[in-house]
Formats: sequence, structure tokens, C-alpha cells
Amino acid sequence: MTLVMVVDDDQDLAEMLGIVLTGAGIDVDLVSRGDEVMEVFRNNPPDLVLLDVMLPGLDGVEVCKLIRAESMVPIVMLSAKGDTQDIVAGLEAGADDYMVKPFKHPSELIARIRTRLRRTNADVKGFLTIGDLAIDVTAHEVRRGAKLIALTRLEFDLLVALAKEPGRVFTRDSLLSEVWGYRHSTDTRLVNVHVQRLRSKVEHDPEHPTIVMTVRGVGYKAGVVGAS
Amino acid sequence: MRHQRQPLAQSLAAKVILSTVLLSLGVVWLTGSALYSQLSDGIKRVNLESSLADARSVFYNARYQFLLVEGATLPQIQAQVTDVITSSTTLGNTDGAREIILLKVFTKGEAATNGQQPNYSFASNGLLATTIPEDLRSKISENSDLSHQFAPLTYRTGKTIDALYVGQRVSIPDSGRYDMYLVFTLANQGATLDIVQNSLLLTALVLLLLIALITWLVVRQVVKPVRDAARVASLFTQGDFTQRLQVESNDEIATLGKAFNEMATSIKAQISRLENLSQVQQRFVSDVSHELRTPLTTLRMASDVIYAERKNFDPVIARSAELLLAQIDRFEKLLQELLEVSRFDAEVAVLEPTDFELVALVRRCVSDLGVALDSPDSQISVVLPNSPVHIRADFRRVERIMRNLISNALDHSEGKPIEIECVETRTEVAISVRDHGEGMEEASLTRVFDRFWRADPSRARTRGGTGLGLSIALEDARLHNGELDAWGAPGDGANFVLTLPRIAGNEISGRPLPVNPHKRSEVRNEPI
Repeated sequence: MTLVMVVDDDQDLAEMLGIVLTGAGIDVDLVSRGDEVMEVFRNNPPDLVLLDVMLPGLDGVEVCKLIRAESMVPIVMLSAKGDTQDIVAGLEAGADDYMVKPFKHPSELIARIRTRLRRTNADVKGFLTIGDLAIDVTAHEVRRGAKLIALTRLEFDLLVALAKEPGRVFTRDSLLSEVWGYRHSTDTRLVNVHVQRLRSKVEHDPEHPTIVMTVRGVGYKAGVVGAS
Repeated sequence: MRHQRQPLAQSLAAKVILSTVLLSLGVVWLTGSALYSQLSDGIKRVNLESSLADARSVFYNARYQFLLVEGATLPQIQAQVTDVITSSTTLGNTDGAREIILLKVFTKGEAATNGQQPNYSFASNGLLATTIPEDLRSKISENSDLSHQFAPLTYRTGKTIDALYVGQRVSIPDSGRYDMYLVFTLANQGATLDIVQNSLLLTALVLLLLIALITWLVVRQVVKPVRDAARVASLFTQGDFTQRLQVESNDEIATLGKAFNEMATSIKAQISRLENLSQVQQRFVSDVSHELRTPLTTLRMASDVIYAERKNFDPVIARSAELLLAQIDRFEKLLQELLEVSRFDAEVAVLEPTDFELVALVRRCVSDLGVALDSPDSQISVVLPNSPVHIRADFRRVERIMRNLISNALDHSEGKPIEIECVETRTEVAISVRDHGEGMEEASLTRVFDRFWRADPSRARTRGGTGLGLSIALEDARLHNGELDAWGAPGDGANFVLTLPRIAGNEISGRPLPVNPHKRSEVRNEPI
């Protein structure tokens, strides 16, 4: 059974999240303090972390960094603020997705969690290449030559999405729907931040990308082997 | 320090100096004239007296000399006359030229009988007898005393000069009576008076300059603080309340300065108090909105769980679950809009422009509000450009404006058709949303963007609008440097026109769509 760690200092909301998630067939670990997260996380590694930004003990953004240092587990931030800087701070700390309280529909939260838990590219099997990288989709590994590159699941999914259709130009909206599972959303910051993070890991020079190429005014596409 | 050059007419100092100098000019002119006339009178009088004294002694001497040669020989008389003439022009002569004229007086018939008598008539420098004024001649003939008169003296060369004529009748033995004139030229006196006049003029000029200088110095003392006050006041107008006037003395000007500074301090205190109040209030609204979010999230999830199970409940509870969810929706929307309003009030609303296509956005807003656009019996009809309209604006805000305008139109349309039209020019795009509902009074037009304002408070809301939608739409439009205009007439519906610059932040140069839909035909669209 899937285990989701819910980190929120509001007891009632945490309980309610527990009820909703349990109802959807997901096990829940409730944590109410930021500084207690890592201990619980190590004792009982979850499949996904639902993390509030405002936490006693340790700030959610800091917690996010700590988790990322140890694990590639999907992290979804919960924020009561809709302000850009909070969202971007969370994403840059390593969160895969975020949701602003109150959620439009609790079912949307479930849907997002399921998207993050699902193997988004379940239809793709075997090996793919993008630029000078080799992707073993089945083993969930990315290599440059013999060197293994560690990616979060979201970053991996993003890379595979680009690699499996080498000629296609992806708009940010189409990436949002294919990788994040958004039906219609306009927050392209999510894409921008993650493309930046992915580039910092896979590119030789993130300033002059050769793997994840920008198509000005449209979106992104996969880099071609040998292209400078 | 900034120093403003002012035109003459606007400068207090210039005005004061000008009027002081003009008035002083009058005073100096009057005193100068009086002084000059007194001086010249005095000089003339002194001159006259000394000339008359001279003349008296000359005439006395002449008469005495002529008496001495009574009965002498003709050559002796002749020599005596010459001697008198010579001495007359030099005797007692201290200054200036002096002329002598001796004219033999012919009585009636005398010329015939005494034809042989010698004639000693003489005029120095070849003066003509005609230069002697007639009045004086007749005076001498009637009066044996010394007579004098001022008259111009004309030389043969044509040169004319002011002169004093003094004359008396004398007798020369064996010859007869003569009119003897001494002519004192007044060239010296004129030169003296010229000097006096020039000195007076020079003094007047220097005096005026000094007066102007003194006035300027005095006025500056008064005007400088006034100018400073004006400069500081204009800084206040620009919102800089840190400036103060320098108060250095204890006079009226200093009192003005102190009062001025106190006023500034008091205004500043008031402003910062109000700013604080408004900041506290804005932060409060923002905090409340944030704090409400967490419980609202819980509430929402709980009601969602209940709502999902409503089929298992009794109909009353099931309906209650529906209402609960609907009201939480509404509450959430209100909360969101309050938060947005508080951002506008705190002036922290930020534009996040991206490039996007407008026509698709309009279509999606309509379909999101549950109206099928392309069916023939659709309540909403659209006139949109066939080609895509690309603009650079804040997608989220433009979408929100359109949703607000369309749902507002749906709210007030009473089921009648709604028309949406979009036009573009090189620099602007405009979208109008027109309904044919109950419309508005003209007085309502100015208030339609007010928060929580309702045209008719007794009228129920059909769609549960928050009352903030149009107000936020206007703020959103203005954040783009765009404009949102409203038109309405009772019974004729309403029309809202959004005008945006193609690139957010640019100025809009006009209204491609007029807000009054009946004036539509008068405006020709600018071709692209």
C-alpha cells in the first residue's frame, strides 16, 4: 500500500487530509513539526511527502532541502500563500509540485498525488537517448557514458517525456498536462523552475543547454546527438 | 539649493525695487530742480550785483574823465575817449569778456546844425548797435540812471551768447551826448551753471543707484525667507516633508518660518499616522485572508466528503450538503478576491506578462462559465477576429477580467442575448461585453466599479457574485495601463469595454471600441 507523509501543523487539517487520503486507499503518516520530519522519514520512508510551508520547528522549504539531500521521493508543497516567491522558493528547494490552500477540489489533490506516484511513462520501455545521455526507462537510470546521474522522479519523467518524442516541440502547457497531470493550468513557473533544475544536473553547461533545448516563444524540445 | 529664476513681473523684489526707484526718481527730480533753480538764481544775482558795481564805477570814471577834458583841444578829447574805451573793457574786469558800445545820440535837427562835430561812436569787436535791445535804449533815453537788461549778444560771426547789458547816457565835450553800454557776457555764469547742473544730475544718478541697492538689500532680507518658504512648500507638494525652513532670528519672518515648520511637522505626523493605519488595516486584511485559508481547506475537504456521500442521506441532509459546498465555494472566492483587493491596496500587485492569444482565452472563458458558444440558440454571440490576436499581458489577470465581465453580463442579462466583440489595432486590443438586461441609471455608472456596490440593493444575486469582481477587473485593467469603461441605460442593458495595450505597460492611445454601443457606427476601425 502507498504511504504518504502529511506534514502540517494544523491538527484538524492534517486529520482531514488523513481521512480523505485513507478514503482513497492511501496510508498516511501524520507529522506536525518540521524538525520531526527527518526522523519519521528515515524510520518509515514514504512514497510521497505532502509538506506545508509554514511549520513550527523547521520551515517547510528547509525540510524540503533536507529530504532532497537524502531522497528522490516526490514532494508536493502545500501553501496558504499564493505569492510567487513562496512557490518558487519551494520548487527551487526541490519540491515537484505545489498546491495552494484551499484546494479547488480535494479530488484534485488526490489526482495530483496519484500522478506523482504513477509511473507517468508506463507505456515506454527499454532504452532512450537524449543528447549524449542514455536513459534506461525500466531501471529508472540516466547515464552519461558510465556515469550515473541522479534525478528525482519528476525530473526523470520530464526528461523521458522529451526523449521519447525527439522531434516534437513541447509547449509548457503540454508538459504540465503530460508530466504533472494538470488538466488545465496556467502556472508555467512550475515548468520553468524544473527545467532549470534538470538542466543543472544533466547539462555540460546549463547556460548553453544541449539536452533540454529552449524553443523561443514556444517551449522545449529534446537535444539531438552531436548537436553543439 | 535650487534657485528659481522668476520673470520680472512675478518677482516681488523686482517690483519693490522698481517702484522705490520710480518714486525716488520723482523726489530727486523735485529736490534737484528746486536746488538748481535756487543755485542759479543766487549765482545770477551775485553776478548781476558785481557786474552792476563794475559798470557803475566804469560809468562814473567815464563821466569824470570826460568832465576833465571840458574845453580841451580836440586831440586831447579824442585821446581821452580812447582811454575811457580801453579802460572800460579792462577796469575791474576779473572774469569773462566785456564789450563796450558807445553810440552818439542825435537829437532832432542836430545832425544838420552840428555836422562838423566829431563822432566818437565805437563798438568793441565790431559789434553792431542792433544787438542792443530796444527796451534798454528807450529806458536810457528816459532815465539818467544806470539801466540794465539781460539779452542775447550777437557777434558778427553769428555767434550768440547770453549777456547783461548795462547802459547810461554820458556827455563828451564838443561832441554831444552818447549812449554808453557795457555788455557783460554770461559765458562764465553759464559754465558754472552747467557744472552745477551736471553735478546735480550725477548726484541724482548715484543716489538712485544707491537707493536701488539699498532697497534690494532690504527686500532680500524679507523676500529670501518668503522664497525659501515657497521652495519648501513646493517640495511638500511633491511629498517631501523632511524639508524645514531655517529660523535664525526672532522677527516676524522667523515667526512665519516657525509656524510653517510646525505645520509641516503636523502634516507629516498626520500622514504617517494615516499611512500606519492603512498599513495596519491592509496587513490585517491580508493576515485574516491567509489565516482563514487553513480552516477553509479543512472545511472544504470535510464538506466534499459529506457531499460525495449525499446519495446515502435523507434528501434534506443531501440538499444541505449541496448548499454547504456551494457556500464554501462562494466563501472561498470572496476570500480570494479580498486578498487580491488587499494586494491592490497595498500596491504590491505585480504584473506577470506573458505572450498569449486572446481569442482562445475569450472562448475558453465563455465555455468555462457553462455557455455553449457554437450552438445556434446560445445566449452569447461573439464577433471575434478570424486570425489569432497575440498580446503581451498578464494571462491570469486578463482571464479574470473576462470571467468577471461575462459572469456580470450573465447575472444581469435576464436571459436576453449577450454580445462579445473583440477588435485589434496596431497598438491596442479592445473587448466589449454587451447585455440587454435591465441596464443602469447614468448615476450608477460611476459607482459600478465600487466594492460591494449593487445597483439595486433589493435585487437578489442570481449567480452569487462577490461584489468585488468589477472593482478587481478595473484594477487589473489599470495595472496593464489599460482601461475598463462602463455604459448603461435603463431598459437598454449595459456595455463594458476593456481596452488593453498590445504590450502591457504601454500607453493606450484611444478606444478602438466606443463604450456607448449606439455610437458604434461613427467610429471606423483602424486597419491593421
